[in-house]
Amino acid sequence: MLRYLRSEIYRLLHKKSMYLYLAGLAILYALFAFVRSGGFTPDSLISHAVDLFTFLPPLVGGYFFAALYTDDLSSKNLTTLIGFGMSKTGLVLAKLILMLVSCAVLYGLMPLFHCALYAVLGWPGSAANMATVYLFALRALLLTLAFAALSGIVVYGLQRGTFAFVLYILLAFNLISSMLTVFVKMFVPLLADYLILGITDRMVTGLLLGGPLLLPCIAYVLYVAVAAALSALAFHKKEMEF
Amino acid sequence: MLKTHAITKKYGEFFALKDVSLAVRQGDIYGLVGRNGAGKTTLLKCIMGLARPSSGEVEINGQTQNLRAARHHMGFMINPAFFSYLNPKESLEYLCQVKGIKAKGEVGRLLMLVGLDGVKKPFKEFSLGMKQRLGIAGALLGSPAMVVLDEPINGLDPQGIIDMREVITGIHAQTGTTFVISSHILSELDLIATRFGFIEEGVFVQEITHHDLHEHTRKSLLIEVDDAVKAWAALQVLGIQQPQEPQEPGFSSSREPVIQESQAPAAGKGKGKASQLKLTTHLDQSHLIARTLIDSGVELYDLHRQETTLEEYFVRLIGGDPSC
Repeated sequence: MLRYLRSEIYRLLHKKSMYLYLAGLAILYALFAFVRSGGFTPDSLISHAVDLFTFLPPLVGGYFFAALYTDDLSSKNLTTLIGFGMSKTGLVLAKLILMLVSCAVLYGLMPLFHCALYAVLGWPGSAANMATVYLFALRALLLTLAFAALSGIVVYGLQRGTFAFVLYILLAFNLISSMLTVFVKMFVPLLADYLILGITDRMVTGLLLGGPLLLPCIAYVLYVAVAAALSALAFHKKEMEF
Repeated sequence: MLKTHAITKKYGEFFALKDVSLAVRQGDIYGLVGRNGAGKTTLLKCIMGLARPSSGEVEINGQTQNLRAARHHMGFMINPAFFSYLNPKESLEYLCQVKGIKAKGEVGRLLMLVGLDGVKKPFKEFSLGMKQRLGIAGALLGSPAMVVLDEPINGLDPQGIIDMREVITGIHAQTGTTFVISSHILSELDLIATRFGFIEEGVFVQEITHHDLHEHTRKSLLIEVDDAVKAWAALQVLGIQQPQEPQEPGFSSSREPVIQESQAPAAGKGKGKASQLKLTTHLDQSHLIARTLIDSGVELYDLHRQETTLEEYFVRLIGGDPSC
């Protein structure tokens, strides 16, 4: 699996559009911050991070989801990998690891970029501010990984790239989660805390305010593990599409 | 080295493969021949683990279980599949990392071999022929012991076809690599394959060596006479020996002449019981044969040269219309 992880990182690093896309996003982010800089308050550093980081799962995570998952379908690379004897379960796990690593790198840089940008605009943050901003980046990372794990079921079960990507984007923009939350609160209120948004929020709250962490962490790991297991199962059942 | 045991593949009620059993030996260049839609690609997919047989099993190097490890040492190309944004060098480097190939210069060597060295444009800008070339290079990566190629000459120009043939025969001669190559063009496979498997409508029709295929398709002289025994005795004067065993009608597998008897009189010729002699030697002495037979009192109804082309043989084998 290590060989495969290395090869996928090599591929990502040779995808020129990634650099263009991320540079474009960075410029947009800076422009957005500059436009809002007239009305900055002492809370802006954190509140703006909370606002802007909600776009990390769809805009940055979405790019990596497409690059890592749906590129495999559009290029028929899955057939190459399976033909070369790669295990289907290993492939599902490797993709999750790659999604985690690539997003962790980008999301790890985002708080630095955010704080540096706001410092340049005259609002330098403290170390505590930075830590809080990092927590929200972590929340975005956890959501991104969970959404990718869920959409992975469609990637491997149906092997339809566009469908999987649309599902990921709907999840990442919280459209499905919001509808599901309303539905669950109406009919099964007990379950509301166990939807992925609720789980990650409880993890962040636990880290930020010192609440219970163990249960939401276990729930999160189970969530991703079950999604990965379903992906692997679907992949084993489904014939390779050509 | 590679065997399939009664592989059947069903899609709903449609049989893509029916009890297909073939055996590829080490060092073979095995030509899998069949019309479009005959089941060649499905069979190769089953071999490479890309399609699950409905029944039957694949055996690689004596193993029928845990074939993933065996496939790791195989190369294959079933539709060239590469990332659209990577150039040929990057595409092969990627595959090198997937397969754990560390040999320095391997990528450059293969790109040179398939004529893509120095090409910088991404895969999405490739012509069909270039894609095929890169697919073949990918299959040959790491010098696997067995390479499976599905229609490798599709989309290649005449020079490309010659180049590809030289690549395959060159590698086979140097390393003894086993190749399984599918094609619907028998004449092209004929130039490189050592054995052939014919498939039609999912049914494996025949397995034959290159030598036997040419025995079946080589030139012959067909002679129709009233009395085969008398004709045979007459022909001995010319040094034509009687065959030891009767041959399969229509197919000669030795260099001896063949005698067949036809009970049905040929329409319009007014002849009685006719016998057919098929000579695969003395083809340039038809005039002497005719004179000898007539001088010996044999009724000579017909004498003509016959040559079965590979295509005719193939069409006859799969039960199609030979005039196609």
